Amino acid sequence: MASVVVRDVSLNFGAVEVLKSLNIEVEQGEFLVLLGPSGCGKSTLLNCIAGLLDVTDGQIFINNKNVTWEQPKDRGIGMVFQSYALYPQMSVEGNLSFGLKNQRLPADEIAERVKRASEILQIEPLLKRRPSALSGGQRQRVAIGRALVRDVDVFLFDEPLSNLDAKLRNELRVEIKRLHQKLANTMVYVTHDQIEAMTLADRIAVMRNGIIQQLDAPQAIYSRPVNRFVAGFIGSPGMNFLDGTIEAGAPPRFKAGDAVIDTRGYEFADRPETGTKAVFGVRPEHVMLGEQARGMPYTCEVAIEIVEPMGSDTLAWTRVGGQNFTFRTDSEYAPKEGEKVLIGFDPARASLFDADTDIRL
Amino acid sequence: MADTVETALAAAGERPAVRGRWERWLILGIAGGVILRLAMVLGLSVWFEDIGDAGDWIAEGLPWACLAFAAFALSAVISSSHSGFSVAGNRLRGHVIGWTCAAVFLLVFDFLGPQIKPAVSFFGKPARIFIDFCGTHGLFLAAVCLLVAAALAASGSERQLLTRPGIFERVWASNLTAKIAALPMMLVALGVFTGGTIWTVVYSFTDSRLLPREKWVGLAQYDRLWGEDRWLISIENLLIYGVCSLIFSIVIGFLLAAMLDQKVRFENTFRTIFLYPFALSFIVTGLVWQWVLNPDFGIQGVVRSLGWESFAFDPLYNQDIVIYGILIAGLWQGTGLIMCLMLAGLRGIDEEIWKAARIDGIPMWKTYLFIVVPMMRPVFITTLVLIASGIVRVYDLVVAQTSGGPGIASEVPAKYVYDKMFLGQNLAQGFAASTMMLLSVLIVLIPWAYLEFGGKKRG
Amino acid sequence: MVDAASLLKMASADTGSADDALAGPRGPRPRPKFSRRNIFLYGTLLVVAIYYLLPLYVMIVTSLKGMPEIRLGNIFAPPVEVTFQPWVKAWAEACTGLNCEGLSRGFWNSVQILVPSVVLSIAVASVNGYALANWRFKGADIFFTILIFGAFIPYQVMLYPLVIMLRELGLYGSLWGLVLVHTVFGMPILTLLFRNYFTSLPEELFKAARVDGAGFWGIYFKIMLPMSLPIFVVAIIIQVTGIWNDFLFGVVYTKPDTYPMTVQLNNIVNSVQGVKEYNVNMAATLLTGLVPLVVYFVSGKLFVRGIAAGAVKG
Repeated sequence: MASVVVRDVSLNFGAVEVLKSLNIEVEQGEFLVLLGPSGCGKSTLLNCIAGLLDVTDGQIFINNKNVTWEQPKDRGIGMVFQSYALYPQMSVEGNLSFGLKNQRLPADEIAERVKRASEILQIEPLLKRRPSALSGGQRQRVAIGRALVRDVDVFLFDEPLSNLDAKLRNELRVEIKRLHQKLANTMVYVTHDQIEAMTLADRIAVMRNGIIQQLDAPQAIYSRPVNRFVAGFIGSPGMNFLDGTIEAGAPPRFKAGDAVIDTRGYEFADRPETGTKAVFGVRPEHVMLGEQARGMPYTCEVAIEIVEPMGSDTLAWTRVGGQNFTFRTDSEYAPKEGEKVLIGFDPARASLFDADTDIRL
Repeated sequence: MADTVETALAAAGERPAVRGRWERWLILGIAGGVILRLAMVLGLSVWFEDIGDAGDWIAEGLPWACLAFAAFALSAVISSSHSGFSVAGNRLRGHVIGWTCAAVFLLVFDFLGPQIKPAVSFFGKPARIFIDFCGTHGLFLAAVCLLVAAALAASGSERQLLTRPGIFERVWASNLTAKIAALPMMLVALGVFTGGTIWTVVYSFTDSRLLPREKWVGLAQYDRLWGEDRWLISIENLLIYGVCSLIFSIVIGFLLAAMLDQKVRFENTFRTIFLYPFALSFIVTGLVWQWVLNPDFGIQGVVRSLGWESFAFDPLYNQDIVIYGILIAGLWQGTGLIMCLMLAGLRGIDEEIWKAARIDGIPMWKTYLFIVVPMMRPVFITTLVLIASGIVRVYDLVVAQTSGGPGIASEVPAKYVYDKMFLGQNLAQGFAASTMMLLSVLIVLIPWAYLEFGGKKRG
Repeated sequence: MVDAASLLKMASADTGSADDALAGPRGPRPRPKFSRRNIFLYGTLLVVAIYYLLPLYVMIVTSLKGMPEIRLGNIFAPPVEVTFQPWVKAWAEACTGLNCEGLSRGFWNSVQILVPSVVLSIAVASVNGYALANWRFKGADIFFTILIFGAFIPYQVMLYPLVIMLRELGLYGSLWGLVLVHTVFGMPILTLLFRNYFTSLPEELFKAARVDGAGFWGIYFKIMLPMSLPIFVVAIIIQVTGIWNDFLFGVVYTKPDTYPMTVQLNNIVNSVQGVKEYNVNMAATLLTGLVPLVVYFVSGKLFVRGIAAGAVKG
């Protein structure tokens, strides 16, 4: 049974619609990531689930209980914040136990829970310290610990890693994944970082302007984005988009400038009409170079304009059908600027969108 | 290649030690002359008056002697420098010309002052004052300017493209404009704030009465001060007023701020109402409350006319509680400010702390007491210092509301000082009293400064 | 009401489905308009607001009454017969000692003091703040620390030395002397204000201007000034209210015919001769308070910003 259910939830701030009738069901033990650019409403949604914001309409269920009108503390949730939100004048132990003391739990129960949480998070040596004496990573661990001691089924994370530097972020990301495996709790996680989303999530909800664009497993979102926004938002470097038209044929062909791409193997949702303006999207990492390209359904010869070596691989900029086009290649076999090379890709792995509606064809 | 350049640089960088030393004396000479002259004007000269004519000579001559010494040092600098004196290729040409012009300007006004005085009267009093000023100090200042110009010329004419500039050049020519622009600040900081304070403290050990004079009496003034009823009452009033005002304004200010922080409607209206008395002067505040607390027509009168004949609330006419009457007015005027500061502090607290507390299920009052108030410690301390230093100054309010009465029941130290200095012709008593005020402020200020700035160094 | 309706809607939409768990609360949490908390909150705020407004109300009401009415009625009652005579008298006829020109002369004295004081003190302090923020030179911090300390030192300590200095300059007792005093004592807070503001501006701007060859004054006039209009407004507000409300310096450094308005007001109201005319007194008090009140109500948020900027960082 679903652990968190968001049903028709809308939220308006005055005349501004921040959330527009959202529906999400999160399964027990699932890790759901809310992903989107800033201002898309993902944190707002999380605050609604937590009960920190009142919804304008709709219902929220946690563990099959309608909690739409419940106070945050009664919803059976723990929450971790971006700025850690630790109480600065209390020791780590005080931070962990303050909420429990206010629930009037017996002292030995509190001690037990604090001990368990600090063991799981390996913060036992820090218990007597003040938050100001901790590093960013340690602070975030304590903040997670504060959610942990509440002994709840649902954890909410509001961009918990955004204040950390890149290296720590990677470390703590793995830590959170490990925590999820160990506890098997339901987790709802807000981020704008697609790598965090891809690595952590069982399912990702990509949001924009208060609407969920796509709610699916990470791999599905990566390979079959439902619209151009999702396609462009997921993946780094971003997907190549070629503007053109659908031409008659069986299967239909896509024409952009002098490039005509046969769409054999591509699963159309609906057979598009001839002459439809369309956008053809192909990921840079799906483009092959040289010998490997020869086996591909579509090949063409291009001149390399710019080369960006990135260490593990190299990004090359060129033009296809008169439009900018990048592809990714192994640094060992990277082409040189000005060189003419053969590239190729498989349209079956590409995405086609309607140019007017941006929806996948 | 690189090696040779470096050695060349190192060789060129070695300045003759002699020259550096004389440059130092040069600066000291000029600075000493100016400071001495200033000191003479401000009252040091009276020390020499007792000696008679010779004393006048010393008072006038000492600063000049300093300048003469500086000139000697300058000649030593020039003679020990690499290329003497050049005007055309001088790097500090602009500065030299500027200082010379200033000297000429001063000299012109010094000599022509009496002739052109009627002409400039068109410009009003400031112009006349300026002419008078040039008449007495123009010659001296012109000499200073000329010396500086010559020193800059010597400093700038040296061949030292690759070397470190000399001390004089560093002190005078680097950021010179900025330093000149900051001159008013330096003068005020040194002359008024430091000099004035020291002067008052020093003269509190004399028996100055109508005019300051240097007859030293040790701590006699302080003895008399602490033996005087009026002063003791002033101190007592200040303590009562201070403690009450500290507690009430912080508590009330915080409570009001916390209430306004509850996302109340009309927040701006409420804030405007709470703060407007702060825009009014203490005089206006005092006079209004004098009227509101008037026993015949004010609150007491109104309550009595409602039928409660025995009602008594006449703080301004009752020696025992008059200070609380002043306190009511003071709080009315000042709490708005405290509320605003507290509100700013509350708004500065991370919103996520509030969210975390709500998730933890901590009641609102507990969140304020155990989490928010400790986080606002800096705001509280600043407010405390602000109120405390304001309390010591309380003067206008008392003058307007009670004039110190009834009797001397509502006297305060600031009023005592003013009365002794400007009405009682007992300067030294005023000085001693104001020194005590200074002392009480320092008692608050120094621990605070230590916490605030000493802590930063450690952190 | 709304909730019941939405419940009905839900129920009708879900007819047939056995999903009872999906019924129940929907939409925003119901909030009673008059919860006990709200009554307490707004009640307290209202009572406090009345306490703060009362003196202003009493001032206005009293100043519009005639003396007989004041002697009979209570001070909170609105005037039965509105008269502006007290205002006219306060402005033009009220007496201090032998002089019966009313407050008008004090008003013009205050204006004559205010304008040059505000201009001079802000000009000096803004340049100081700019030099401190952008042209840090050795020793600047020491002077600045002394200056800030000076803001806390009781004025009484410096009163007499300034008398001597002004006497030496020939300015003692004149309006210009008082202008100088206001400039001196306004310096700490204003310098702090401007220093903090200029420090908060991006330093790259200053560096870029230097690379482009602008000098001290060039940067000040062409780059800093145009960017700092709001802080100048804040400074003007601080100074206008501060100088207008000053009493101590006015009474120490001026003579009776150059007394500023506050001093004259105090002399009128607290003069021992003659019958006390409360309505005239209140009219005079209101007149004196009018300038800062107008500044306050017109400037609104900037006023708050001014005191917060000056105080919190002090």
